[in-house]
Amino acid sequence: MTHTIATSPAGLLFGTQGVQISRMPPKARLSLRSRNANLMALSKAIGIPVPTKIGACDTKGGTEILCLGPDEWLVLSDVSDHIAEACEKLYASVPHSLVDISHREVTFNISGPQATELLTLGWPRDPASLRVGEGRRTVFDSATVVLWRDAENAYRMDVWNSFADHLFQFLQHGCRELAAQAY
Amino acid sequence: MTTYRVAGKGRVDTGQPVTFTFDGKRFEGCAGDTVASALLANGVHLMGRSFKYHRPRGPVTAGSEEPNALIGTRRGAGQFEPNTRATVQEIWDGLETTSQNKFPNLKFDIGAINDFAYMLFSAGFYYKTFMWPKNFWHKVYEPFIRKAAGLGVSPTEEDPDTYASRNLHCDVLIVGAGPTGLAAARAAAVGGVNVVLIDENVECGGTLLSKPNAEINGMPSWDWLAAELVSLRSLGVKIMTRTTAIGYYHQNMIGMVEKLTDHLSDLPKDTPRERMWHVRAKQVILAQGALEKPLVFHGNDRPGVMLAGSAQTYLNRYGVLVGKRPVIITSHDSAWDAAFDLADAGADVRAIVDTRETVDEELQSQARMRGIGMKLSHTVTATSGRLRVSSIRVNPIDDGKAGDGLIIPCDALLMSGGWTPSLHLFSHTKGSLTWNEDQTTFLPKDTPEDCTIAGASRGLWGIENVLIDGASAGVKVAMALGKESQTRQHKVTHDRIGSGVSQIELPTDKSSGKAKAFVDFQNDVTAKDLRLAVREGMRSIEHVKRYTTNGMATDQGKMSNINGLNIAADALNKPQPQVGLTTFRPPYTPTTFGAFAGYHRGDHFEITRKTQIDSWAQENGAVFEPVGQWRRARYFPKRGEDMDTAVGRECRTTRAHVGIFDASTLGKIEVVGPDAVEFMNRMYTNPWTKLAAGRCRYGLLLGDDGFIRDDGVIGRMSQDCFHVTTTTGGAARVMNMMEDYLQTEWPDLDVWLTSTTENWSTIALNGPKAAKLLAPLVDGVELTEDAFPHMSCAECTVAGMPARLFRVSFTGEIGFEINVPAPMGRKLWETLWQAGQEHGITAYGTETMHVLRAEKGYIIVGQDTDGTVTPYDAGMGWAVAKTKKDFVGMRGLMRPDLVASNRRHLVGLLTEDGTKLEEGAQIVFDPHQAIPMTMVGHVTSSYHSDAMGRPIALALVECGQNRMGETVYIPMPDRTIAAKITSTVFFDPSNSRVKIPSGEML
Repeated sequence: MTHTIATSPAGLLFGTQGVQISRMPPKARLSLRSRNANLMALSKAIGIPVPTKIGACDTKGGTEILCLGPDEWLVLSDVSDHIAEACEKLYASVPHSLVDISHREVTFNISGPQATELLTLGWPRDPASLRVGEGRRTVFDSATVVLWRDAENAYRMDVWNSFADHLFQFLQHGCRELAAQAY
Repeated sequence: MTTYRVAGKGRVDTGQPVTFTFDGKRFEGCAGDTVASALLANGVHLMGRSFKYHRPRGPVTAGSEEPNALIGTRRGAGQFEPNTRATVQEIWDGLETTSQNKFPNLKFDIGAINDFAYMLFSAGFYYKTFMWPKNFWHKVYEPFIRKAAGLGVSPTEEDPDTYASRNLHCDVLIVGAGPTGLAAARAAAVGGVNVVLIDENVECGGTLLSKPNAEINGMPSWDWLAAELVSLRSLGVKIMTRTTAIGYYHQNMIGMVEKLTDHLSDLPKDTPRERMWHVRAKQVILAQGALEKPLVFHGNDRPGVMLAGSAQTYLNRYGVLVGKRPVIITSHDSAWDAAFDLADAGADVRAIVDTRETVDEELQSQARMRGIGMKLSHTVTATSGRLRVSSIRVNPIDDGKAGDGLIIPCDALLMSGGWTPSLHLFSHTKGSLTWNEDQTTFLPKDTPEDCTIAGASRGLWGIENVLIDGASAGVKVAMALGKESQTRQHKVTHDRIGSGVSQIELPTDKSSGKAKAFVDFQNDVTAKDLRLAVREGMRSIEHVKRYTTNGMATDQGKMSNINGLNIAADALNKPQPQVGLTTFRPPYTPTTFGAFAGYHRGDHFEITRKTQIDSWAQENGAVFEPVGQWRRARYFPKRGEDMDTAVGRECRTTRAHVGIFDASTLGKIEVVGPDAVEFMNRMYTNPWTKLAAGRCRYGLLLGDDGFIRDDGVIGRMSQDCFHVTTTTGGAARVMNMMEDYLQTEWPDLDVWLTSTTENWSTIALNGPKAAKLLAPLVDGVELTEDAFPHMSCAECTVAGMPARLFRVSFTGEIGFEINVPAPMGRKLWETLWQAGQEHGITAYGTETMHVLRAEKGYIIVGQDTDGTVTPYDAGMGWAVAKTKKDFVGMRGLMRPDLVASNRRHLVGLLTEDGTKLEEGAQIVFDPHQAIPMTMVGHVTSSYHSDAMGRPIALALVECGQNRMGETVYIPMPDRTIAAKITSTVFFDPSNSRVKIPSGEML
């Protein structure tokens, strides 16, 4: 069978001394949209206070919620069914949209001492503007991605399925370029 | 061969010889040499032929501003670069270089005949000469100009090198690592301010590299430089050499090109040749220095004639004497300094010729001390020597007129007309300039960017002055970033500040009409050409520039702009600012296409999106086609089949049995919220209120203008949730359009959009056996006409996978679209493929999909519509709600030209002789009318239809719907084809095939 990122199991995809790229195991994810006035109620249903600052990320238990826009959140959870159920009960009084997008993306983990430098190959933003523990919807090598900074030199990158091969090829090329770089 | 290398001088490593070739001949240089310095060390000045007159030329500078010494460099197959500046290209063992613009060879060139015909090649020559006769243009003039216009030879092989790009954010970017930039970096690098210092040269130092005699704070300048670089590195300053800032863009974004491997004899693995840096700096300091100006006199382009400052650089930086018996011609003190350096290194300086009447007594006494003859108030009126200067003619100037000439033999002529501040990047910022009469030059004034310009690039002279200015620029930007900094003391001894006067053409006793006094060396523009342009009516420098091509070569007039302006201003008898200055544009120096392309070449040129089923298609021999960013299977040929045969088989099998098709690329948008139905009513032309949950409807989307933008089947999954599908290419556009309306027009609606295109894999099953194949695999829905009629949708499981099942048909057969979680797509496909074997299943691609839908008259947006087609034009008035208050495009549809009676309608066409029409072919009513005929429409879709046993076509024809049965004509190059207008529905007009026969049970 043709080898693609879509068919690769979770685990290390490519690595050099400076940076390792792996595919993260799939995790249920939900796109949450609502008005600010509803956040209290939704926070209760989800079990985490919904952050309101764009880029802010909160984690509790097996659930993580990232604020992507003024009325948009990305929820990653081990208990997505419970969340969906709890939100559904609120729907009549707390209008919102909760769409299951668990299968839309592939998640890369990019980590190692050269991880930040690797990102500068295709990411026009200032890495210093993304603090540890935050996330952003941004562009990488002209594709829309969601990028989390989990540690100083550890990132997660959500990429739509059909862009995954292209971006992985780019990252792999970049790893080799960085490995050859003289210090 | 005589060597011009001076022992004990220069920064090259004489213990490390490097061998390279020039025009096939081997030369030896030292590690650290450029091609130019190595050839000069071997006594070679002749390095190329000029662009227009094919005049012999040698290097006139020692830097990136070089207009003459352009060479080809070659490393191996595909690794050839034309027009490389020999003054910049470092040598390495095995480098092959070639001269350009010569035939049969550099020393004897037939094209030099142009030089004798120079009277013909005056300014505006092309404009004037090639106007008549008109019919000569294509056959004679254009090929001639095209051939003449090229300099160097374009490589024909693919470039095997790789190129890279990177983003960089910093607090301070300093462009230029001469004394100004170094002092600025030292002052700015305080309190954690992150400073990047770049220089286009191999090493930092700028002018200091050519001035080893100066002492800074008691240290020889080179020692000071070395110590300063150590300090800067320890302060965390990022120093990048071989890096050129090519452009200054909005909001302090600077493009920089770093050359990584052009100086290496062995290419390291995985290392790009060049890297484009996209830098965003909070503060920028421009410290690009100044460029020396040539003097303009007859024969100033002969090999051996060079800028005095460059000769000083060749001596002090490369240890090369450009001549053993040089003469200096100058109007500026700095050339005296160069003369002294050369004399001290053993050159027999024959004379210093200065156009000025008086020169600083100190300089004169230094010249006397060295036994150098001086000719003040003198001019040069000619040079001679076939391929290199061998003598010059010097004349006294009396009252602005040249007296009798005296011949002085020499082997080099070093000139200086003063210095021009480098304002290129400052000019990119839209910075304003101010004319400085004393210095006869433009100086920088204001810029809208966070940009500070310092040192010689703002007209300051002398090392001490620019060190002080650089330091205060550094303090200023540190303060702007909220940091305290202090300037350090800079005391410089042996600092020759100097001054001079600006000159137009030097006075001559010869006919100025015959003088070849070059202003633009690279484009062969003379002073005479500029004066002619003014005589012929050019008033602005922008016109003079275009008429003469002065400053339009790849060096962008670094040498020629200011001399050109001074001469034009003189001819017009106006002050320079009234004549104007031409605009500098990026890139600062010529840049490779590779650097701009970066990683985006070959396989990585553009994103190719693939579905989860793409791999199956590839393994099963599909032929692909690009659709937007996606690649889609076009058809699945079996052994020996061409496209027509394969498509015919796929169509036939689908209509007879069942076909399977990957529809995953269709855009999908989940519309959710209490106001979802209201939103749908406003966006689409169709009514949605009465559509029940579990039912689908074909939706038509218009623009404000009333023209069709997109379409797709939309399922109401529940009261407040719609599963919208869009065309493959329109997905992102439709999503953006919807978000735009939602955010700007209807923020009151409680409805939200989520792109789910990639959350699902979508497989279409079509054909009389589709239900029979699918039914056993489905749980939760009974696939009968009653339980799940055409245009139904449901959530269920298919082959054990959670699915959204749609009963839709784009073929006219019984049809289903099965959506499953994206990663399960291939598994479902294989399951259906397996189960379909007993039903005679075929996989089909986009081509068969196109044919099957055309047989039913279903449109493809973007093929049968072109942005000027309304629903009524397309025969789809039925899709426009009649009683809705409003929808996007409703007002547009009322515009007079959209309700006019002569609009083009989409109709079917059947040719009378059974030939297949060409898509795009124009249609006329009367084939006998005079040419140009009145065209009344065009063919939008045309296929051979297996079901109809003949070709079919769709076309837009004026009033087509009122002309059913009439004949129209399609004139083709070889004949005219007659075709009958028909309905767009060719096959099964009663839609009987879409129904699952009752009693068909499983």
